[in-house]
Amino acid sequence: MNALKRALAGVLAAAATARAQDVRLAQRLDKPTYVAVNAIVDSARVAKLPTAPLVDKALEGAAKGSDGQKIVLAVHQLSVRMTSARRVLGTSSSPDEIKAAATALDAGVSERDLERVKSAGGKRPVTMPLAVLTDLVGRQVPIATATTLVVQLSRSGVKDPDLALFQRNVRADIDRGADPTVAATTRARGLVARGSTSKTKPAQ
Amino acid sequence: MEAVSDAVIVERVLRGNAEAFGSLVERYRDRYARYALHMLGNREDAEEALQDAFTRAYRSLARCDDPERFGAWLFRILVNRCRTLGARRGRRAKTFVFDETALLSASEDHPAEQGAWREEIDRALQRLRPEQREAFLLKYVEELGYDEMSRLTGVGVSALKMRVMRACDRLRELLSEVHSA
Amino acid sequence: MRDDDNVKIRDVARALREPVRVDASFNERVMRVVRELPKHSHLSFWRRWAMPRTITVRPLAASLAAASLVLFALVGLWHVSDDLDRAAKPIAKAIFPPKVAPEQHVQFVLVAPDAKKVAVVGDFNGWDPSHLGYQAQHRGGGVWAVTASVPIGHHRYSFVVDDSLWVADPTAPRVVDNDFGTTNSAIVVEEQR
Repeated sequence: MNALKRALAGVLAAAATARAQDVRLAQRLDKPTYVAVNAIVDSARVAKLPTAPLVDKALEGAAKGSDGQKIVLAVHQLSVRMTSARRVLGTSSSPDEIKAAATALDAGVSERDLERVKSAGGKRPVTMPLAVLTDLVGRQVPIATATTLVVQLSRSGVKDPDLALFQRNVRADIDRGADPTVAATTRARGLVARGSTSKTKPAQ
Repeated sequence: MEAVSDAVIVERVLRGNAEAFGSLVERYRDRYARYALHMLGNREDAEEALQDAFTRAYRSLARCDDPERFGAWLFRILVNRCRTLGARRGRRAKTFVFDETALLSASEDHPAEQGAWREEIDRALQRLRPEQREAFLLKYVEELGYDEMSRLTGVGVSALKMRVMRACDRLRELLSEVHSA
Repeated sequence: MRDDDNVKIRDVARALREPVRVDASFNERVMRVVRELPKHSHLSFWRRWAMPRTITVRPLAASLAAASLVLFALVGLWHVSDDLDRAAKPIAKAIFPPKVAPEQHVQFVLVAPDAKKVAVVGDFNGWDPSHLGYQAQHRGGGVWAVTASVPIGHHRYSFVVDDSLWVADPTAPRVVDNDFGTTNSAIVVEEQR
């Protein structure tokens, strides 16, 4: 298979995938909304931002019965957040990291907080730490506290499976009536003190 | 609020909105279940024929030439499905219950006369030859004209009239037997 | 009392005309099958319009007809371009099989005793509640579950109950949705080693 064929095939495949997404948008959005969303997606593509999250956002809005203006606004705002996320995380960040960071920004996490989480993780992907951070904030742990906890956990070398377990334990504690900040702080302290292990332990 | 016409719903489905087909199912389900039930004599077969008809209608929806008359087009598919299913299954033994709840709500001491009479009708209907039963149901229960019946079944008007007449004679005979027993 | 000698056909017909009730789950059984069938596309709609028909054109209406033909052609081109793009995909696949993001099987569970239908929707299936493979089965006791393929990576998702109620997964990290007013859930699917 020569290079020209591969390049041609790559272009065709990318065009086909892009057009496949467009077909779903065309089927589910009214014409003006489709045109507006497509314009945002095209701009993102030119800026080398991941476009799938933008398409997904539009499809989500359509599935939830939102009107066209809301959908366009949501897609535009996501595009802006992803631009910020990539600026903070760097151009080598993965689409998943950009998605997770954009979600965290939407939850109220600042760019400065994103930077702290990114620095704490070193070269490790920040997808899971950011997902956990977003969850803690969503459960009413103050943003500053949640960020500090996640930064500490990352600096201690806590791996993603343990972070996931941490999140589940905190949720279980809150469900049983614990104060969110107390629950999160307590569980984080325990994890940092134990150090990261490769085995997950059941919630107490 | 005005109901959306069949043609509008058909167009939506053809544009890729499969879920819109659910409105047509809702619209025609009960009406055509009655025909399928009387034609086939039991609920399971009737529901199978009806489900099959809806599925076929969905699959070949693009070939529905007059979406405003989707109902008639669907009914034609159902009539054919009932013929095929009826031929395949042969005659069923009587396990026919028209409406279980109607029977259950009957007084314990006196079985509802209505319910018993209905059962007799249903049994008699199932004893008709399939083509006579079909013609009788289309004429007297669905209240179609002979021209429309002919379009639906592909059978000539004279033959249909003969089938209806024979069905009526046979039903009278069967139901008179019951009452003289 | 019935007249033994004169069973009236019209009485029989009247009795047979009584409404029949179909089980409420019938609609869903039909729609389950319908969802498995290929969806009708723009092109099938286009094909209907393209079928030859006899048209009577009055002289006064000719200019209107011409204008609508132009609009028609533009709409038709849009549909045809979809068809060409759909054709491009298998060609691309044949020359250079695209990399598909690896997937993991993930179990989604929701306790919803009053639900009649539960589906999982998310950015891995276009937020489509009718998507096959993401329809939960009722396991009893109000427990709904489905094990579905989810690409590795970060995803947002939700349950849709009875086609109308959006419910976040109580067991998963939350993502407050400021865009459309519901709360979603997040999942990070990692490669199993």
